[in-house]
Amino acid sequence: MSTALTLEQLARLCRDAEGSRGARPPAAPSGFPELDASLPGGGWPIGAVAELMSDAIGIGELSLLVPVLSRLARAGRYIAWIAPPYLPYAPGLAQRGLPLERVLLIRTRSLQESLWAAEQALRCPAIGAVLGWPAYIVDRNVRRLQLAAEAGGSLGILYRPPEAARESSPAALRLRLHAAPDGLAVEIQKCRGGVAGRTLRIGVAPTVAA
Amino acid sequence: MSAALWLCIRLPQLAQQALAAIPEHSANIEDAAARRTAIERAAMERLAAWAYQWSSLLSYRLADEPLLWLEFGASRALFGGHAALLAKIEAGLTQLGYSHACALAPSPAGAALLTLVEQERCVSTRSQLRARLQMLPLSLLALPQEVLAALHSAGLRRIGQVLALPAAAIARRFGPDSNLYLRRLCGAASDPRPAWRIPAIYRARCEFGSEVRDTTALLFPLRRLLLEFQGYLRGRDCAVLRFTLQFEHYRHPASSVTIGMSAPARDAAQFLLLARERLQELLLPAPVSALCLQALEFTAASVVQTDFFGSDAQQLQQLQLLLDRLQARLGDAQVLRVQTEADHRPERAWRLITRQQPAAATDTAAPARPCTLLHNPRRIEPPALLLSGPERIESGWWDGADASRDYYVAGAEDGARLWVFQDLAEGAWYLQGLWS
Repeated sequence: MSTALTLEQLARLCRDAEGSRGARPPAAPSGFPELDASLPGGGWPIGAVAELMSDAIGIGELSLLVPVLSRLARAGRYIAWIAPPYLPYAPGLAQRGLPLERVLLIRTRSLQESLWAAEQALRCPAIGAVLGWPAYIVDRNVRRLQLAAEAGGSLGILYRPPEAARESSPAALRLRLHAAPDGLAVEIQKCRGGVAGRTLRIGVAPTVAA
Repeated sequence: MSAALWLCIRLPQLAQQALAAIPEHSANIEDAAARRTAIERAAMERLAAWAYQWSSLLSYRLADEPLLWLEFGASRALFGGHAALLAKIEAGLTQLGYSHACALAPSPAGAALLTLVEQERCVSTRSQLRARLQMLPLSLLALPQEVLAALHSAGLRRIGQVLALPAAAIARRFGPDSNLYLRRLCGAASDPRPAWRIPAIYRARCEFGSEVRDTTALLFPLRRLLLEFQGYLRGRDCAVLRFTLQFEHYRHPASSVTIGMSAPARDAAQFLLLARERLQELLLPAPVSALCLQALEFTAASVVQTDFFGSDAQQLQQLQLLLDRLQARLGDAQVLRVQTEADHRPERAWRLITRQQPAAATDTAAPARPCTLLHNPRRIEPPALLLSGPERIESGWWDGADASRDYYVAGAEDGARLWVFQDLAEGAWYLQGLWS
């Protein structure tokens, strides 16, 4: 009988060892208990990049984030929006509790500038979260942003087109977002240190005037 | 009796090293000498401004090998303090890229002489200085060649032997100037020097021997200019909000960029970072023949953020560094904040403001609003599915941009919720926002 470990066994041992060290990744509560319960550390990964792949714009893909952004902003950190395709609408954001004085809007002229600005912002300890909408991005770009987020202890959010779900990505967390009658269906496609494959129903902020 | 000590810095290759590139061709000898002096003077002026951070009393002399003197007052009583300071200054000179020899002595002439010896270049008292000079060859003395030759033919070999001669004999035999020099060398006679005055505005120019075509090749001379500038700012105990870099070209008007900071700063590393971002974006119309750094306005250093280290202050400083970098590369108008405005019209209920503008208090009184707005309302077909509404908004008649609209939340086929309105005047439907 061979005493050598298979690669698979070795990988499991490494994972177990990691787990036993209690090295849980830091996380910030999402404001949605059902989502927190499915994410390692109980929330959005801090010091990491998360990708959101939304079927459409306007299904609550931003409202899903507003609670964590507000939490980070109230803790004194800034939220950088890098070249959003639409205007972040101040009255709507303020109504959802986001302190506007912590919001930074960075406009760029190219994808290259956007990636550069996102990396700089993620590295800055004063920044809590960076939101980006890269039209096209490769693994190497994501990895760079991932390292920047680790260095800055910030949360990187990349909105990517639904087709991106077909490819793999080095992002720590990947969520697919589908419209649902009562809010949003969140499918966990990849979750570092957690379990992927589940779909959660989340009631995002109300959309209709009272 | 003064307890002052003089640090002398000999800069044997100042002219060559001041040029960021080697000249391609040399003109006739006279022109070359004049040019060399001009380059040395410019470099020495910059170095003096840099050295002002260590001493407010300094002077220089452009000889065969340029010399810069810094006086250290009696306050720095411990010789150990001087050693640490000397190490700092030498490290600084190396960073600037200048070959140098430093010596410390209680007289300027003594310090200058000791820069020529290989070791034991620091003495703190006059008796130590005399003892140190004793065995050194008399050729090191800054006396006219014929005087040195005469001393040599008289059988003298060491400085100690010369100093042992009666002063009156030296004055009679070699002239009063030689006698005065020897007395000054030992610190026995006062040696007043024209004190260098720190300029009220900063303008430093760095000439290149040949044209520089690539902006990255400008980084080395730029780094040196910025380090020297940092020394000037420290010496004056002040900071800047902006400075200008000017690029001179042959046969082309100079181009310039202004580097601005959000808070007063005086850190060369920070300046370089910002300048670098700018240089990457800069398209120079022609190769660069010289680089100038200019600063006209200064603020007190007491408001420099780097000088205190509360966590909030530190965070603010980090943020300012980030925003300065972003602005340097992307442009001033690209880094913005948002705020609400008291206007019923949704497109006027918010505003983009620059970093420096003060933000108004947030107004959240309106009915529910989406997080995402289109830059301009987009004409659409009448929506098939209206989920809620209408909310009537009528306003703006007083400023000519009057609006009379009914707003609805509409459902799209892909599940998106749209913020739409019908213009009551023309009956058309528009998409204005998304319930993202």
